Amino acid sequence: METARNAISLLSFFVLPAILVGFPLYGLYKRVPVYESFVEGAKDGFHVAVRIIPYLVAILFAIAMFRASGAMEAMTRALDPVLGLIGFPAELLPMAIIRSLSGSGSAALVVDMINQYGEDSILVKMAAVMYGSSETTFYVIAVYFGAVNIRKTRHAVPAGLLADAAAMIIAVWTVRLLYG
Amino acid sequence: MLNYIWAGLIVSSFVFALGYDVRDLSSDKYRNGQPLPVVLAFPQGYDAAARRVPVEVRIDPREYASFYRTKQSPDSSYSGYLLQTREGVQVRLAAGSKLPEPLATIGKVSKSRDDELQGRLVGFTPPAAKAGVVFEPVRFVKLNAIATAALDFAKTGAEIAIGLIGVLALFLGILKIAEDAGIVFALVKLVRPILRPLFPDVPPDHPALGMIALNLTATVFGLGNAATPFGIKAMEELQTLNPSEDTATNAMVMLLAINTAALQLVPPVLLLALMGTQINTLIFPILTTTVLGLIVAIVAARLLGRLPGYRATDPNRNA
Repeated sequence: METARNAISLLSFFVLPAILVGFPLYGLYKRVPVYESFVEGAKDGFHVAVRIIPYLVAILFAIAMFRASGAMEAMTRALDPVLGLIGFPAELLPMAIIRSLSGSGSAALVVDMINQYGEDSILVKMAAVMYGSSETTFYVIAVYFGAVNIRKTRHAVPAGLLADAAAMIIAVWTVRLLYG
Repeated sequence: MLNYIWAGLIVSSFVFALGYDVRDLSSDKYRNGQPLPVVLAFPQGYDAAARRVPVEVRIDPREYASFYRTKQSPDSSYSGYLLQTREGVQVRLAAGSKLPEPLATIGKVSKSRDDELQGRLVGFTPPAAKAGVVFEPVRFVKLNAIATAALDFAKTGAEIAIGLIGVLALFLGILKIAEDAGIVFALVKLVRPILRPLFPDVPPDHPALGMIALNLTATVFGLGNAATPFGIKAMEELQTLNPSEDTATNAMVMLLAINTAALQLVPPVLLLALMGTQINTLIFPILTTTVLGLIVAIVAARLLGRLPGYRATDPNRNA
């Protein structure tokens, strides 16, 4: 496992340079006016960034309010008995809820849990797997759909949340299977 | 769905904040207007004429516990100073003092310009050391907190977007070269067998497939900086196929679902920094979880798209 990981992380050092150097180089070979093409494409960077601002602000401020209100603690208490049934530790519920909502919030939770339980505790392992195996769904929706002005998201939210929920439960199970 | 979740977040945060605040008020958590008993000691002696007198404030842990009905206890003493004016005497504790709850929360409201915890001294008759401190009344802490959070994160949202400008420009420029040089087209031919089943609505020779392939490659290698511009470009390509202006197509939902599942072979850099060597034990569970999560995401995006409600809103329904 470790050699595979080293090979992959070594390879990942080369992917970005390969794109940044390889594409213009190949462009030159194909007699593309590379500088002009680059500038032409890069022009859109500003517009795309500005276009996603309303979407990001909408999502981030609502989630920030929710986190500041203490609603999470109340939800944790309410869901506690239900979670016991599927073998989901109550300590991880805040992580499971916040993972889809806020990237910085879930990273902060991992730090909190490390301080509280230590790196080698099984709860921290579960939290770390949750953090590492999922993306912040609402952030991705805001950025990707915001960039093309998509407001009616149809089944994107339920699909993303279903995948998140599955990942949270699978994270707990795999860690328990391996280290429980 | 997003409408309801969004409104739900806002409304529930208001309801919970109000609930907590009313509970705190009715249980008199902050003892508004009532003096906290303290003992004063003057390391440099007490001078009734001086405007500022350095002071050590001692709070008896037992008295503190019964006053605020809490299990937290204060430090043995806090340094600060008395500010004597014609209106009365104020006591201020040095900024950065480690205060126990609920005094820490009170300190966020009842504070001086220099962030010192500040209160009015009552029942102080020098040279007697005993006195009481009355703080500014603390009300609606959570309501205040949600309003502050909303303002802060509105700012953060704009900052994140502005911070993306440079990276977006870099990769969108590189992608334009890739398009003009025919790299995207070559890539489309390469990944068509894998991606076509996932994106049946995209024509087989469309550059969108190439952009999606680049997006997934960057994600798999943990290159978040590159993955986002590639994903945005892929969305723009998919948007050119979209008959509607503001409604997501099935292909867009699929791309989004794949991205939220975050299939990556390299664990996030942040996790590496946090977990140190422990990360080695987590590679396998992370990989398993992310692969299974990806499968759930793909199946969910495909199956949910077949539900009558979502089929009725499909921009390609007439095609």
